[in-house]
Amino acid sequence: MAKTVTIVVDDIEYEVPAGMNLVDVCKQYAGVDIPVFCYHPKLGHDGNCRMCLVELATPRKNPHTGEMELAWFPTLQTACTQKTSEGMTVRTKSQKVIDGRREILEFLLSSHPLDCPICDKGGECPLQELTLRHGPGTSRMYWEEKMHLGKHVPLGELIYLDQERCILCARCIRFQDNIADDPVLAFDQRGRHQQIITASSPGFNSIFSGDTTDICPVGALTSADFRFNARPWEMVQVATICSHCPVGCNMSFDTRTDREAGGRTTIKRIMPRQNERVNEIWICDKGRFAHHHMEHPERLTKPLIRRNGRLVEAGWEEALREVTAQLQHAGENVAAIAGGRLPNEDLFALQKLIRAQGSHHIDAYPPVRGGEFTASVGVGVGTNLADMGSGDAIVVIAGDLHEEAPLWWLRVKAAAERGAMLITIGGRETRLDKFATHSLRYDYTEEVATLNALLGCMKLTGLPRSVDGLKEAVKGARAFKPDKAIKDAAEALAGANNVIALVGHEGLDGQGSHNLAQAVANLLMATGHFGRPNNGLIVVWPTANGQGASDIGVRPDYRPGYQRIPVPGMGYTDILAALADNTLRALYVVGADPLFDDPAAEQALRSTLGTIIVQDMFLTATAEVADVVLPSQSAAEREGTYTSGERRVQRFYPAIEPCGQSQPDWLIIQTIGKRLGHGNPSPSAAAVLLEIAKTVPQYAGITYQTLAEVEPQIPDVGGEDLYYGGTAFRNRHGLGVQWPAAAESGGALSAHPVEAAESIEPEEDMLLVVPITLLYDAEPVFHKTSLLHGRVPGPDILMHPEDARYLDIADGDVVRLSIDGKDITVVVRFDEQAPEGAALLPRRMQVQGAPMAATFATLVRWDVEALER
Amino acid sequence: MFEPVLTRNIHRPYSEKITTYLEHGGYNAVRKAFAGTPEEIIDMVKRSGLRGRGGAGFPAGTKWGFMPKDQDIPKIVAVNTDEGEPGTFKDREIVERDPHQIIEGVIIAAYAIGAGRAYVYIRGEFFLGVKRWIKAIADAYEHGFLGKNILGSGMNLDMSVHRGAGAYICGEETAMLESLEGKRGNPRLKPPYPAQVGLFGLPTLVHNIETLACIPHIIERGPEWFAGIGTEESKGPKIFSVSGHVNRPGNYELPLGISLREIIDEHAGGVRDGKRLKAVIPGGASTPILPANRVDVPMAFETLNAAGSQLGTGAVIVMDETTCMVEIARRLAKFFAHESCGRCTPCRIGSVRLYELLDRIEHGKGKPGDIETILETANGIDGLTFCPMGAALANPARSAIEHFREEFEFHIEHKGCLVKAVYSS
Amino acid sequence: MALLDTHKEDIERHLAKYPDKHSAVMPLLAMAQEEYGYVTQDAIGEIAGILDLDVTHIKGLIGFYTMLYDRPKGKYLLQICTDLPCALRGAEALSEHLCRKLGIQPGETTPDGLFTIENVKCVAACDCAPVMQVNGHYHENLDEEKLNKLLEDLRREAEVSEPAHYD
Repeated sequence: MAKTVTIVVDDIEYEVPAGMNLVDVCKQYAGVDIPVFCYHPKLGHDGNCRMCLVELATPRKNPHTGEMELAWFPTLQTACTQKTSEGMTVRTKSQKVIDGRREILEFLLSSHPLDCPICDKGGECPLQELTLRHGPGTSRMYWEEKMHLGKHVPLGELIYLDQERCILCARCIRFQDNIADDPVLAFDQRGRHQQIITASSPGFNSIFSGDTTDICPVGALTSADFRFNARPWEMVQVATICSHCPVGCNMSFDTRTDREAGGRTTIKRIMPRQNERVNEIWICDKGRFAHHHMEHPERLTKPLIRRNGRLVEAGWEEALREVTAQLQHAGENVAAIAGGRLPNEDLFALQKLIRAQGSHHIDAYPPVRGGEFTASVGVGVGTNLADMGSGDAIVVIAGDLHEEAPLWWLRVKAAAERGAMLITIGGRETRLDKFATHSLRYDYTEEVATLNALLGCMKLTGLPRSVDGLKEAVKGARAFKPDKAIKDAAEALAGANNVIALVGHEGLDGQGSHNLAQAVANLLMATGHFGRPNNGLIVVWPTANGQGASDIGVRPDYRPGYQRIPVPGMGYTDILAALADNTLRALYVVGADPLFDDPAAEQALRSTLGTIIVQDMFLTATAEVADVVLPSQSAAEREGTYTSGERRVQRFYPAIEPCGQSQPDWLIIQTIGKRLGHGNPSPSAAAVLLEIAKTVPQYAGITYQTLAEVEPQIPDVGGEDLYYGGTAFRNRHGLGVQWPAAAESGGALSAHPVEAAESIEPEEDMLLVVPITLLYDAEPVFHKTSLLHGRVPGPDILMHPEDARYLDIADGDVVRLSIDGKDITVVVRFDEQAPEGAALLPRRMQVQGAPMAATFATLVRWDVEALER
Repeated sequence: MFEPVLTRNIHRPYSEKITTYLEHGGYNAVRKAFAGTPEEIIDMVKRSGLRGRGGAGFPAGTKWGFMPKDQDIPKIVAVNTDEGEPGTFKDREIVERDPHQIIEGVIIAAYAIGAGRAYVYIRGEFFLGVKRWIKAIADAYEHGFLGKNILGSGMNLDMSVHRGAGAYICGEETAMLESLEGKRGNPRLKPPYPAQVGLFGLPTLVHNIETLACIPHIIERGPEWFAGIGTEESKGPKIFSVSGHVNRPGNYELPLGISLREIIDEHAGGVRDGKRLKAVIPGGASTPILPANRVDVPMAFETLNAAGSQLGTGAVIVMDETTCMVEIARRLAKFFAHESCGRCTPCRIGSVRLYELLDRIEHGKGKPGDIETILETANGIDGLTFCPMGAALANPARSAIEHFREEFEFHIEHKGCLVKAVYSS
Repeated sequence: MALLDTHKEDIERHLAKYPDKHSAVMPLLAMAQEEYGYVTQDAIGEIAGILDLDVTHIKGLIGFYTMLYDRPKGKYLLQICTDLPCALRGAEALSEHLCRKLGIQPGETTPDGLFTIENVKCVAACDCAPVMQVNGHYHENLDEEKLNKLLEDLRREAEVSEPAHYD
């Protein structure tokens, strides 16, 4: 328990924690809102706006009488720069305070354009709000001497600056410097001429740039997406969950019925919704700006059926009849591939249908494994990365959180800055290494070997008895030889109080990701870091609901709830092989597009004689080769749930009308199921979740009601006093429910030794190509948002200059790579941070063909003359 | 006749050279200091009563006492040569003409507080000063006064020069530290004070040039000698920079407590062209203006405070009867508006608003009520700002109106200048 | 030519002075300005690279400090002080005279690229007011006659040699 002190606020005594910020304490304990502009509970104090002035006194010994007395500061003090101490006494409402605040507001307003009627912030503006509460009604200054400055200054293509409105509080600069670690904003000039600038390329180069528009206390920073788009009071907030990555950021669709849209409800902007355990009050720019695919004109509005080699529009009845007939014909020779971004309800319906057909050939796409380990030793219920600090450790393995799960990156980095030990283990340097206490580098294919070596050299005093097979696992690990860096990391890790491990899948195929997750789970089990809050495993899934897909049995080896299937079905790779040799009669693809980004799918999907049914929002590359295409609804048009990488089941709500005749995936699947004789469709998505809760023991008790429960979030950012934390929203629609891992619910735990992957000896002229994930890619759901197109890199392959020189390649050279007999053309970019001996090829870019896992490619130098011919 | 100490060398030929300095007893104080313990040195400085000469007048010995005693914590001495207060030109003269005197002061201070590193921050505009500093430091290294094991004492001290690049605010000690760290010169929040968290996060002793120049003399002649000069609360010699409407502008080293009138009339040769004295700014542009009838005030911290002004840097700006006080207030306001760092609201906006109001009045566009607005604005700035600049920019306008209100009223009423009206007729 | 090609030793010397290399940004900017006459875009990029700073930060520094320039100025930078002590001794009239003489306003450069006039803040030479710095050299106790002669001298000097820079 932290030390408490007694302070007096406006003549009332309060018991409060010692050393706490006075603005926060007044709000949280005394219910007194001290007005602020530059102070922000997430950014700390800066003391520049001078709005939070109070009268302040602290007890002091009178030098003459020796008695304790209250010593009042002669001038007003800024509350934001004060920390609570015993006897601190504050007046927040005295005339002196009122006068001081009015003075500050008059100064601010005397150089503000007062263009509230056309300002995007009008209606949710801290300056407006505080002027009404504390400001002068008139100004003593001369209006005509107002300084005129730039009104629409682009800070890059995403964020615009209105220099006249800016009150120079530096919240945006401090956010970029201290929270986002992209110091691309700064003040230029000084005094009254001071302005915010960016000189980065592209302008305001940060994946968190949109967050500055929320914390901006005036209408100075606006996004290209929202500016002049709607007034805050016209919009309806609909709670949602971001569908781009496994963090599961809580967001809000702000919608309005639009004349331009023919009276339809449209999404005007996306705002973060506060959830202190998930995303606090931040979201990344992908989450904020990539929503336009939902209202894109290329959305599928009707079913399509292949007639005479061409896909033509058809009615639902016709399409469903066709699908039913094909599936009936296929019987148990059916397989399904489901996108990992699908909600739980859809995934459940799909696996139920396939299994009702007698097949276990079902897999999530992309096929990444590890769910069984998070189900057993995943992070404990109540885990909060914000609790991690000095004495704790976070291990990040085989991935680039900044690109794959931005909010985790942000929060892991913050934990490291609070003093948490950060161990990064990967094949290359990423942005997290700057904050790491230990960075372990391996050659790709040595992921498991490295983890085993780490476990092997841990000094373990007794192993947890609750885990079967631990002894053998540790014994197996001891066979691996650690180097000094590994030994140092092991020693550091041994002293940690809490340990969270985030395991990715960079360069790994499905089996590789399984093995690595097992190796990491072994490490956590052997060291006892599981089964309690702030300890355990997180899988960095490639999609928003990879965890849910695994939980729900969208995999060939487990039924829902991790019930092992004695004779597993075919996984993704085997399904492709079976399609190629025509042993499968039908493939049902829902919300996945393997043809877009897996070169290996090419042959199987194009050549198979089996029927391909695709259900999607767009006519994807895979849909183009389908026999029947069914239009599905976006997450904005329906309700559903996702399970985040931290196993938090979270609910989203319908925000806009459905596009055309599209239907929710779960309903389409269940309708087909009914026609196949597998029972009636559920009456609602909520009912599907009820069924999930009955089938998946881990989800027992989870309902739409429990998911909608909230509790107060501290700091209280979303309150009426907009100025305290910005316009991020109070969470009124649910914080989600984190389900207990087996380690917490008394389930069986077991460890298994993991064999290291075989290292491959490359042939002459071969190059190891490692696919990497970038946040901004060309994936359809993202690419339909033109706003961010400028930030998607070209068809580049990143090589270490040393490697390139060895191969006689120059920066900017166009080269051809032959991967598994398939050629791709890429531009070589030198990158000092690329590992030596491996070239990095971002997946899902305009030029497709990056492999799913690390693989050797033959290098063919591009013959420019041949190109011109 | 008062014997100059701080400026005793500056008129000698080649006064800036180390040989000249050594010839006249230079660096003896360092040897003497090394004979004593650091605690004894701090005690001597405390007993001398030396107060900072940069403007704030904080007791130097107390400052030294604030430095952490832990020998394992590296400490820094930062030398403030960012002399930018209009009217002040003493530090530039010492640096250009007697830099070793300061280096000697720095060595003693570093010895007393246990610092191993010293940085000299100097205005970018002082090109000669920079050259002299660099040369003097190089020579001091060569003679064994800087570097490892100075004079066999076991003490190490490295020193280097850091040039500023044009910002008045960098004279404020924490802004100076920011600038030294390669940042914009915005003042830092205090506490923590530089003695706890200063340059590069290390405890840092920041002193003005003139303050450091006093140190060798205190050591050599003893704190009692120093404390014997001056008044009750203001001890020692002080260099007064006299400028404006006097016959002999220049630097005059005199005991603290000397009357302002004596400085003007006897040392600076009186008001030029036989004109009458109208007003004086006694301590640099940021200190309140005093009318002629108050110039008998002794030049000391406490007496000037009582007279409604401040000692500041001791820069005496003299104005004769032909001076328009509206124009004076306007020009000073312009300076502060230009030099506001812009960090905090009242200074950033208030400084410009003050200037605009004064400019209107000066140019015959003032309206009734503007004078009250100026006073309210000045009061709204002073005390609400992040750093002491708030008081600095409120002082000139407030004091000009306090003592010469009729000139402001005349400007507003007649859209012209009272002084001009009187002196052009 | 990059600074690292021409001033490698100086750069290393500056870096060695500070425990945190960011501190070297001011000396490096001064170095670039001395080399190129102003801090060029390339120099900003190079210094940002050497010191691991964002270019935005460096732009902000150039904006804050009045002696740093990110665009060319005249061969001779005429900086005339117009603060109170100089103004009391006729600096304002002298500044106006200078402007008339060169046909430009403070902040502007003559079309021949020879002179830039700036009204600057106190340069600590109030006892010799009015004062003007020409490329860092003090010219004290100025009057119109002295100023005219100085301009002539500078023009003549410019015909035969590169102007002396800051020393």
